[in-house]
Amino acid sequence: MIVLGRSIRLEQRMVVPRSAVVIVPMLSVFFALAVGGVFLAATGHPPLGTYLDLIKNGYTSFYGITDTLGLATPLICTGLAAAFAFRMNLYSIGQEGQLYLGMIGGAWAGIALADSLPAFLAVPLVLVFGAVAGAAWVAVPAVLRARLGTSEIVSTLLLNYVALNLVNYFIFGSRGFFRDPTTSFPQGRPVAESARLSPFSFFTDKVTNTYPTLLVALVLAAFLFWFMRTSNYGYETAVYADSPNTARYAGMNSMRLQSSVLLISGALAGVGGAMYVVGPAGKVDPGLLQIGLGYAGIVVAALARYNFLAVIVAAILFAGLRTGGNALQVSNDPVPIAIAVVLQGAVLLFALGGELFRRNRVVISRVGQVVPT
Amino acid sequence: MGALLFVANSLVVASGVASRGAHEPLAPHNSAPNLAAFALEAVAVTKRFPGVVANDRVDFQLAHGEVHTLLGENGAGKSTLASVLCGLYRPEIGQVLRNGKEIRLNSPRDGLTHGIAMVHQHFRLVDRFTVAENVVLGHKSLSFVLSASEIEERVESITNEFGLPLNPRAVVGELSAGERQRVEIVKALYQGAEVLLLDEPTALLAPPEVEKLFATVRAMTHVGKSVVFVSHKLGEVVDISDRITVMRGGKVTGSVRRGQADVKKLAELMVGREINIVPRRAKSPTGEVLLSVSQVHLEREGAEILSDINIDVRGGEIVGVAGVAGNGQRDLAEMVAGLTAPQHGNVTVCGVPTARSGALGARRAGLAYVPEDRLGTGLAPSLSMVDNLVLTRERGFLVDRKSALTEAEYFIKQLEIKTPGPLTPTRKLSGGNSQKVLLARELFAVSGARVLVVCSPTRGLDVGAVEAVHALLDEARDAGKAILLISEDLDEVMTLADRVMVLYRGKITLEQQGASADLDHVGRAMAGIAS
Repeated sequence: MIVLGRSIRLEQRMVVPRSAVVIVPMLSVFFALAVGGVFLAATGHPPLGTYLDLIKNGYTSFYGITDTLGLATPLICTGLAAAFAFRMNLYSIGQEGQLYLGMIGGAWAGIALADSLPAFLAVPLVLVFGAVAGAAWVAVPAVLRARLGTSEIVSTLLLNYVALNLVNYFIFGSRGFFRDPTTSFPQGRPVAESARLSPFSFFTDKVTNTYPTLLVALVLAAFLFWFMRTSNYGYETAVYADSPNTARYAGMNSMRLQSSVLLISGALAGVGGAMYVVGPAGKVDPGLLQIGLGYAGIVVAALARYNFLAVIVAAILFAGLRTGGNALQVSNDPVPIAIAVVLQGAVLLFALGGELFRRNRVVISRVGQVVPT
Repeated sequence: MGALLFVANSLVVASGVASRGAHEPLAPHNSAPNLAAFALEAVAVTKRFPGVVANDRVDFQLAHGEVHTLLGENGAGKSTLASVLCGLYRPEIGQVLRNGKEIRLNSPRDGLTHGIAMVHQHFRLVDRFTVAENVVLGHKSLSFVLSASEIEERVESITNEFGLPLNPRAVVGELSAGERQRVEIVKALYQGAEVLLLDEPTALLAPPEVEKLFATVRAMTHVGKSVVFVSHKLGEVVDISDRITVMRGGKVTGSVRRGQADVKKLAELMVGREINIVPRRAKSPTGEVLLSVSQVHLEREGAEILSDINIDVRGGEIVGVAGVAGNGQRDLAEMVAGLTAPQHGNVTVCGVPTARSGALGARRAGLAYVPEDRLGTGLAPSLSMVDNLVLTRERGFLVDRKSALTEAEYFIKQLEIKTPGPLTPTRKLSGGNSQKVLLARELFAVSGARVLVVCSPTRGLDVGAVEAVHALLDEARDAGKAILLISEDLDEVMTLADRVMVLYRGKITLEQQGASADLDHVGRAMAGIAS
């Protein structure tokens, strides 16, 4: 591109400087806030003041940060699920549906099996059933992908709508197993008390929305980070993701790799849904359908550049935008939640755009002049 | 500027109208051509890419009716210069002159309007179109309704004049590499090219086809067209060139005229030091048969890919399989390596039948395999050297990178692999260095494989790296390994192999002892000419 006698072009970086790894995501957030600021100013809200409120309500106040951590807990799981699949170039966007199935599977175990069990068995059992249900939900797309090369993008996306209707049917459309029989109000049947955890109080007498499942999510992220770096499975997926021909040359089983990655991804999202049962919901709760934690997981994974530890940070950042945005709605100068949604979209857009500048550098030179390298 | 193109016309008058490329030049006939000036000239051309200066103040002149060869190793900058001359790249500094006047080329299309055309190493043809359709494709002054017969007639007149036998109605997808190249040349001539840039035109040709190409080049210069011949093959360019300009590291290192060309001197200009190309053969008697391929037959979708292949390779010998690309080399290698199972026949590696036991089975029996595509098949490009070394090892639940790191450091030192470090992604290594990584893994793997299948191991490597790779293969032979060398580079097979075979259309059509092999004989077998 030539502007004012200067040629501006992008040049691929030979070495990505360490600073770019930190600075580019920060700039992405900054530009996203700037874009959001325009919308705020246009709707008559002072941008700076609103952002300070948002930070307070999302991150720095006691209830703000505990709400954020509570929301971040399943979001870490869906973020890990997306990152796990995307690293293998498998673009599964079924985390939303797998999350619902995790909730259903976890609730089933919590109702049917947990009654006679102590909490230290019941809670893990619910989580495991959530994982199995999440994996089962992606089993068909996984087999189709591995055997026939069917696009996992389409198949997983479509199953999200099936899962959504399944939850609605269980609660609103039928009087089945998952519907609470004790009331005519349509709501989920509660799971056994032993299958539920009480929230952290953080050494106060306050009741928060952060549950011990947060620790499970953190351990999962750390384990995946370690496991995929050191294990043979992590190695084989890295080879396959980089070059399927090389994997074939080395005698790796591509069908097994592809299907297992999708199944594990589904299980991770499923665990997130089960955490919702163990934690705040205690039943199949259609409220989960309103939050979009599965789709948000894709954004979180992209922000974290598929790094499992970075998923934690990205999920907390993202959850804070949501809780902070929610709080703004009910303040004395109500800001529409749409603004928070605009912010989330802007963060994703700039994060992906920032990737361009991380990989390339901008070179500005006079036309005809040689650029020193 | 438009008048510049007209030069050709005056030169062509003697040999008739058809030689204008059966197409009116795009320039008006209003001024006398400047015959004293060069047909094409580069003055102090500098072109940079991230991290390299591909052309550093390069001067180059091409006279009318001349064949001027740009000789150099891979990465010397010769293709870059050709791309600048045809308008594909724009130089940062420097000028391109056509008949003494500066021209500014923003695209290959601009080049064409000045009568400059390039025939790329990788053909740019539509497989499903006919020859005639491909020739007119992208042509600027096409009428709305095309007359197929008229186009075919013009194509035929070009093919006849320049000795480019082609059927204009043939579908390009069914043509051989040599024929496709002819289509590209006819296309350039049809578009009125007076200056042709041929980028590595002999890379895919069998020796007899190379002769045909040279005849065409002579026919073109005979009528006043000028040809730039880009090549890294020393031997062949001496015959065809009026002048040879040698490049190394983006700079011109020397230029010689016909008659002064001395292969040894040119090689030194190319490499920057003295080199000796001597045949290497087995020094000790061969051992027992370690690799045996017997009566193998391979079909894919009803088409016969390999038929009745019988090869025995003994410990301590290199069996070379020569052939033009696309005659089944890749399938032969993958079949021996266990990646594809043949319908009939057997393969045994160190006495173990492996034809149907997959890549892992063949490897466990003692086979190592260096595929032709080193960076997309043999190595994972984004992974480090360490990670690539463990690729063909037996790995436990956890990957042992610690011992691989020690191994990598040892190889870097022993084989003089130029790399920032063992953790650098292999795609950042040069072709020669990544090939060394691959060979190191397959030759000296911990498993101690005794059979080695190697495919075109020096393709795209510079002379220095070729020497290093050949030395490694020779060393492995001396160590008693059985090596099956499948290569499209006949010189390579002739310098290394103890026994030479020719693969033509999936069959072994010739077998000779390496030391006494008759080059002419082998060349004809590669072209499918029975003798």
